[in-house]
Parts: sequence; structure tokens; C-alpha cells
Amino acid sequence: MATFLQLLLSGILIGSVYALMSIGLTLIFGVLRIVNFAHGEFLMIAMYGAWAITHLLGLNPYAAAIAIVPAMFLFGGLVYLLIVRPALDKPHLVVVFATMALSIFLQNAALMAMTADLRDIPPIFAHSLTIGPIYVKVELLLGFIITLICTVGLQWIIKRTYLGKAIRATVQDGEAAMLMGIPVPRIFLITFAAGSALVGLAACVMVPLFSVFPSVGLNFVLIAFVIVVLGGMGSIEGALLGGFCVGVIQSLSGYYVAPAFGQLFFFVLFLLVMIFRPNGLLGQQGAATVGMND
Amino acid sequence: MRRLLRLSALFAGLVLASPITARAQEPIKIGVLLPFTGPLAKNGIENWEAMQIARDMINERGGINGRKIVYVQGDATTPNAAISETERLINREGIKITTGSFASPIAIAVSQAAERNGAFHWETTGAAEIITRRGFKNTFQVGAPARKYGQAAVDFVLNDVAKRLNKPAGNLKIALLWENRAFGKSVGDGIRAYAQTKGLKLAFDDGYDQTATDMTPIVQKLKDVGPDVLIAISFPNDAILFQRKAKELDFNVGAFVGVSAGYSAADLRDSIGDSVVGIFVADFPPKVNANVLKPEIRKVADEFYKRYEAKLKRPPAGHAAAGFSAIWALFTDVLPKAKTFQPEELRDIALKLDLPEGSLVNGSGIKFTNFDWAEDPKDAGQNLRASIGVWQWTKQGNEQVYPPSLATHEAVMVPMPKWNAR
Amino acid sequence: MSIILDANAPKGGIPKLPQRGQVSWFEIILLLACIGVVASGVAHGLMDVIVLSFLFAGLALAWNIAGGYAGLISFGHSAFFGVGAFTSTILLTRHDLSPWIGIWIGALIAAAFGSILAIICARLRGPFFILSTLAFAEVVRIIALNWASLTGGPEGLSIPPTSSLADMVFASKSVYAALMLGYLVVVYGITKGLEASRFGYYLFAIRDNEDAAAAAGVNPLAGRAAAMALSAALTGIGGSLFAQYFLYLDPTYLISPELSFQFALLPAVGGLGTAIGPVLGSFLITPLSELLRSYFGSAAAGLHLVIYSLGLLGVMLYFPSGLAGALNKLTRRRPFS
Repeated sequence: MATFLQLLLSGILIGSVYALMSIGLTLIFGVLRIVNFAHGEFLMIAMYGAWAITHLLGLNPYAAAIAIVPAMFLFGGLVYLLIVRPALDKPHLVVVFATMALSIFLQNAALMAMTADLRDIPPIFAHSLTIGPIYVKVELLLGFIITLICTVGLQWIIKRTYLGKAIRATVQDGEAAMLMGIPVPRIFLITFAAGSALVGLAACVMVPLFSVFPSVGLNFVLIAFVIVVLGGMGSIEGALLGGFCVGVIQSLSGYYVAPAFGQLFFFVLFLLVMIFRPNGLLGQQGAATVGMND
Repeated sequence: MRRLLRLSALFAGLVLASPITARAQEPIKIGVLLPFTGPLAKNGIENWEAMQIARDMINERGGINGRKIVYVQGDATTPNAAISETERLINREGIKITTGSFASPIAIAVSQAAERNGAFHWETTGAAEIITRRGFKNTFQVGAPARKYGQAAVDFVLNDVAKRLNKPAGNLKIALLWENRAFGKSVGDGIRAYAQTKGLKLAFDDGYDQTATDMTPIVQKLKDVGPDVLIAISFPNDAILFQRKAKELDFNVGAFVGVSAGYSAADLRDSIGDSVVGIFVADFPPKVNANVLKPEIRKVADEFYKRYEAKLKRPPAGHAAAGFSAIWALFTDVLPKAKTFQPEELRDIALKLDLPEGSLVNGSGIKFTNFDWAEDPKDAGQNLRASIGVWQWTKQGNEQVYPPSLATHEAVMVPMPKWNAR
Repeated sequence: MSIILDANAPKGGIPKLPQRGQVSWFEIILLLACIGVVASGVAHGLMDVIVLSFLFAGLALAWNIAGGYAGLISFGHSAFFGVGAFTSTILLTRHDLSPWIGIWIGALIAAAFGSILAIICARLRGPFFILSTLAFAEVVRIIALNWASLTGGPEGLSIPPTSSLADMVFASKSVYAALMLGYLVVVYGITKGLEASRFGYYLFAIRDNEDAAAAAGVNPLAGRAAAMALSAALTGIGGSLFAQYFLYLDPTYLISPELSFQFALLPAVGGLGTAIGPVLGSFLITPLSELLRSYFGSAAAGLHLVIYSLGLLGVMLYFPSGLAGALNKLTRRRPFS
């Protein structure tokens, strides 16, 4: 029983970190309806940044978020203006491939700049916490707490502020939103930049847990995509729920079946959800059957 | 008359000298196929640095009979890219000698492309057994095949660790964890088979997905088994994740034996700090008991280590030292004897090599099979004298602990202290 | 995206792109040029690039049937590629069945996989569809990787490199180039035939306005399944040919998202939904990536991919209708797709 609880708890904790890394993506998905294939590389860049600040200034990575989050906001905005916006009024595949090209570019620019060496930060907390027979890694717990705070905070913004309302309107129907006077292009920009900023926050949480190297994004990008679609495009609680599902499934299937299958089980879960609840677990009705806006 | 003699001597000298000097200036081109980009890039580039040092050192010593060595690179980032690049080097650059490849899947692909296009392939580190078992004539695997890694680990555990743990070898609970790619699976298969011949049953035997981001289920399963010894085959990223998770969940073993790439990376210490001390690694020796090496080789080894550390600010990992060893052997024991540098000639020279242990920088010898190996008549080009030992991470660096002939120090910290004591 | 055929466009000048279902002079000249290059062996040193360009042109065309014509943007086609490749190779190495026959069996199995995917994704559109195809391919990959007794696991499968016509292994690259060209021509022919056929029009209708198509009596699910099955079968054949050329199969790299992207990228660059587009895309991108790697691969790790990706970015942003679209603009004909 203790084993099962340990697996469950670890799955939820790591799942929250996965969710944090995916919240930005689901916002971008929901508002702009585009797939950002460079998402893993945004994470990688932010992780390098967090590592660099920690390594050079001796701060801890959570403090580094003060610099990384705004920096990623600007980075996201820049990418949006230079690459995404010109691609938006073209056939949908253009954005897909443009972001893919960006992904290759960022991976290899990082390789040229930082070499392929793994970068790590020294452990922050010497020991894990114990709750009875269950171990809890402090950095994971912090990640969980930060994710929850972030989710609640975002929900507040979405439900209580004008910006949030504008975003919700754009998610529901971009054209109608424009007719209502919402500056949809600016919403796009803000959302893309904010989504990137959230990735920056996730990176700060992840740097104590994972090594950084140019192709690290590849290990996470598929997980992020699955979480976003599983949870429902544009739904923040959906991303959280999706993250928990993925984390727990990975944990339980690795133990009770075999670790060699890796990501098989949550991909299968993903496909099952797509068959029976194609809008995702918490997505809006009809989202999956709505085509691309071109 | 004397003037005529002098003139004809001069003329003869010119006639004889010109083609020789012309050839002496013509460099020897060697194709180097390594993963320079992609997830394997880190170790690929380390191998490359080691090979470059070898080239510089041999050229400073006058090259091969006066001819300098020149490398032509191919970015073998995936097996199919490896095949394309190898073919490009052979067909478009006219290369007849190839080397590489660090990783097993790349090595399998490169050697096949070389064989198919008529080039001589000198594989430095790729370990998968299948490399030499396909009936190829021109593939020579200088480094140890996968099963030797496993055998070294198992032998070390049975002959050394068992005593220190005060348990008879037959009673030891041995766990095996392997990453689910060509190297991990190959070594894992070898360990399983070897353990069977020793009459041992593994208490735990599981593969895992190398891109895993959460090691909780694996560590939890291992905790359930409670092994005395864990033999783990991992690459750098997963090795770090595993160690961290083991610390988080307080998973302790009497002895931890990592196999190659992940655990022998020199910057593992940068990533997990002092937790690394006490871990054993079955891999190419990063440094050997200098008394084992012949004096000239000892000097070469010293120079290599000096240059590598000067350039990369850390000592070479085992596989980089192995890459240097292998290519140096090519430069000093094979190429100088060649006249035409055609693959058939190089093959003959290679097959005649009979170098005892201690002849190469990393302590290995060379004796290749030629379809005459009792265990597999289709096997050719395997180096029966490639040595894999076991070394241990220490506070200052590392020490070779097994086999005794190569050891620079005794194994310590067995049983390994628990996490809260480290 | 509208379907307009402009029969009264001005003629003459730069080679024009063909109308739907018809073969233009441009295509005939291109075909003759390809045959000429292969037969004369003039670019002998580049023959490996040529082989790959032909093969990937065929694969791009196969993808285009689902992606360009039926609107099923799939990033999972490497699953079909791998299924075809492994099927014919397993039949060859373990059951001594000639790949000339094994290829068709591989195609059938790939077609089955394609139909299954289409049915799984029956209700999905847009990014949901794309990611489901990705997930599907990953599931296939992980199963292939772990089913070592069938696929050789991570060590993969090798085909012995002894030349034999019956085993479809050749010593000469020119023969492979001819084989791949044959594949390209066949897939091209099927594509062209599709364009002019009723089934093709069903696909276009489903792609452009599914509800209207359904209202007009077209069965969207059947259409999508058939398109995906055909596309998968042709991709599977390409996979078998790939296996016969490289003689080494490794599931990790064969059934990878990177390869799936490539199948979609080439038609996108060349011009989706046209027949000549995927061919142009492959003829541009395949040699480019190979040559970039050759020339810049040694300068600094990663440099060739930096250049490649920047180039790709430029092409995507400035030629959104692909090369075919750009050529259309040059000849001042309205694109027909």
C-alpha cells in the first residue's frame, strides 16, 4: 500500500511540473489555434537561462524566475512578431513548419553556443521530506505548490479581469470577439508572450530536477502536447488535470507493467480519450471538430 | 667519366626521389564518422577531440612514413545519416579508410556502409555484438564487444564485491537495469547469459525507456527487491535522473556498478556532486596501472592525457581514451606497414597483428578474429584482447579497481554508505 | 482554398504548371531529365543524393494524397513507413520471401494501419487530428522497439549486402535510382489519376467543406479512411524500398516524429495539394539538407542545421503556397488548389 501511495504521490507531483510546462501551450493553443512545435526548445532556452543565472550569480533557480519569466515574455513576443504573425494569414501548415524550423534552429544554435555538455545545478535541499514511509522531494513539492498558485492566479486573471474576458472570448470565437471590439491581434501577441513566460517559470522549477542540454526539449514536447489536447485546448484546469493523468499513468504503468514501455500508456490513454471524448477531458464542446481558422 | 657518373647519379636520384617525395607529401585521408549533432553529440564530440589529439601527435612525429594524416568528418547523427555520410566520404571524397563511431547503432550503420562500398572500417568504441557477426571482411572492432562490459561487471561483483560484503557469491542478490537502446540491450543480454553460465539468477532484470523523465517506478521496483548489488547501464541524462531519484527515495545498495557511457562521463561529478564517490564503473579504463603499459606507450598516454585536459578542462572519459587508443594503434601498428593502403592490404596487416595486453594506451592488446572463433564462425574483426575493467569514483578522481593486473587501487566503500551518510 | 481551373490563361513562355489530371510539358521534360540523369550516370558522385531525392519525392506524393488532397494533415506517416519496411524485411530475412512480393504485403498491412488511424481520428480535426497521428506513430514505435523477437528491438534488422535481383539488393546505385524513379512515377501516376477521378473530387470536397460534402452525399469517413489507406500503402512501399537500399532498419529512427515531419514538409514546401509540388519539394530539400551536411557538417557542430532551419523558415514565410505556388505566380495562372 505504501508503494502505491508513493507512486501516486510521485506521479501527481511530477505531473504538476508537466502541467506547469504545458499551461503556456494550452493558452496559445486555445487562443491562437496553432501548434507551436518549438515549445520544447522554448523550455530548453529558458532552462539554460535559469541554469546560467543560478550558476553565475549563485542564486537559486526559483529566485532566477524574477529574471527568466520577463525575459521569456519578451522572447515569446519577439518570436510572435517575427515568425508567428506573418504566418497566421497563410495556410495553417505554414505556422506548423515555421515553428518546426524554429525548433531545429534553436536546438542547433544552443549546440553551437553551449556545446552538448549536460548542465546541472547543485542540489538545493539536502534531503527529501518523509511523510511516514512516503518520500517527497522538496523541489518537486515546490514545483507542485508553484503550479497550483500559478493555476489559481491564472484562473483569477481569466475570470476576473478584462484581459481574461477578452482571452476567453477569443478562445470561444475569434471573429465574434473582433466584432465586439476586442483587439484580437493584440490578444494574440499577449497570449503568445504570456505562454512563453509561463514556460520560463516552468523552466525555473525544472532546472533542479533535470539536466539541461540542447535536445532536452525533445523529451518533454510530446508530453506537453498530449497534456494540452488531453485536458482540452485552452483549458487551464484541463492542463492541470492532464498533467496529473500523465504523471500518474507513467508512474503506475512503469511499476505495474514495465518501465521499458515508457510513454506508451499515456499515448494509448490519449488516443482513447480522443475516440470517446474528442474535445479533451475539460475542453469546450465541439472544439475538436472545429477546423482550422483558414 | 666522373662527371658522367655524378650526372647519372644525380639524374637517378632525381628520378627515384620525385615520385617518392611526391607521395610523401600526399596526406592520408581518413573518414571520421561521429555524431556531431543530436542527442549523442556530447560523447561524439569528446571522441572527436581525442581523435584530433591523436592526429596532431602523429603528424608532429612525422606522420606515417612522412605522410600526414588528414581527417574528413561525417556527421553521423542517426544511423541513416551515418550511412549517407559514410557513402559520401567513400564515393565523393575517395576515402578508403573510415573510423568512428562512438555509439552502437551508428557503428552498425557505418560499418555496413563501409563494407558495402569497399572501405576499411576501424571501429574504435561501438560495442554491439552484431558489428562483427555479419560476415563482413573489412570491419575491425578494436574496442570491446558488449558482452565484455557485462562480464567485467559480473566478474568484479563475484570475485571482489562478494568478499567485501561478506556473502558467498551464490547468495548475492544482483539487480540488472538496462537502457532500452542498442548498447543497453546488448550489454544486458550479455550479462543475463553470462550470469546463467555462472549459475546465478538475477533478482531483478528490467529495461527502461532512455527518454524517461520520471524514474520513480523503477527505483520503487528496485526498493521492493532490495538487491545487494545493482548493475545499471545508462547514458548520462538517465544516469543523473536515476541517481537523484535513488537519493530522493532513499534506495541503497551494497555496491553500485554502472556500465559505460552514463556513469563514466567525467562531468557526472559536476552534475551530482559528491554522490558520485563510491560508484563503480565497468568501462574502458580511463587510466590504467602504468606498470602494465610498455614504456613508449606510457609516454604517449601521458601526453594524451595532458593535451586532453588542457583543451577540455577535465580528464578524458573512458570512451574518449579508447577512441584515442584505437586510432593510435592504427597509426602506429597498421598504417606504417601499408604500401597501397587498399582495404585488402590493410585487412591482411590487421589480421596479422598480435599485440599483447598493455600495448595500447588503455591497456588493451590486439588480436582479431577471422571467421575462426569457436563461439561464432561468422565472426570476424572482433578484438579478443580488448579489455574492460572496473574503476571507481573517488573524492579526487578515479581509480582502477579490477582486474587486479590493471588496478591502481583497491575497491573501497563496500558496502556503500546509505544516502544520509554521504 | 478554392478550386478554379482557368482554361483561358495565356500560353507560352516559362513552363506552366499543369491543369488537374493533365500532364504538361514541364512534367514530361522533368521526367525525361530524371531518366537521363539515371541512365547516363552523369552525376555519378551524387547518385546517393539522387536516389534519396526520388524516394522522398514518392513518399511526399504518398503523404500528399492524405494531407494535401484529403486535408488529413498527418504527422504519423512514419508508422506506415516503418510497417512497410519491417514487413518486407522480416519476410525476406526470416522467411526467404522476395521483397518484390513482400513489398505488397507490407503495403496491405500499412493500409490496414492507415484505415485504423482514420477511424480512430474520425471525429478529430485541426491540431487534435495532428497530435493524434503523432501519438499513434509513437505507440507503433514503442511497440516495435520492445517487440524484439519480431523487429530485432533496438538493435534493428539487417539485410545481407549480397547483390541479388530476387532479393532486391543491388551493387550499383544507378539501379537503385532507377527503382526509386519507377516508384516516383507510379505514385505520381496514381496521384494524377486521383486528381481527375471521382474519388479525387470526393476528397477535395471533404477537405474543403466537409459538411457540404456530406450534404451532397459523400461519406466523409469512408473517404478519409480510403485516402489514408492508400496514402499509407504507398508510404509503406516507400519504406520497403528504403530498407532495400539502406539494408539496415532501426525502429527508433525509422518510426520517428522527425521522419514524419519530413514527409509533410516536402509537400508543404513544394506546394500542397498539387501533384508536382511534392516532387519539387523533395528535389529541393533533399539535396539541400544532404549537401549542407556535407559542406558544413565539419565546420562547427550544428552549423549546417542552423543554416537549413533558417532557410526553411524563409521559404515557409515567403513562399506559403510552396514552390508550385510561386511558379504559378510567375506564369500568372491561378493556382488550382
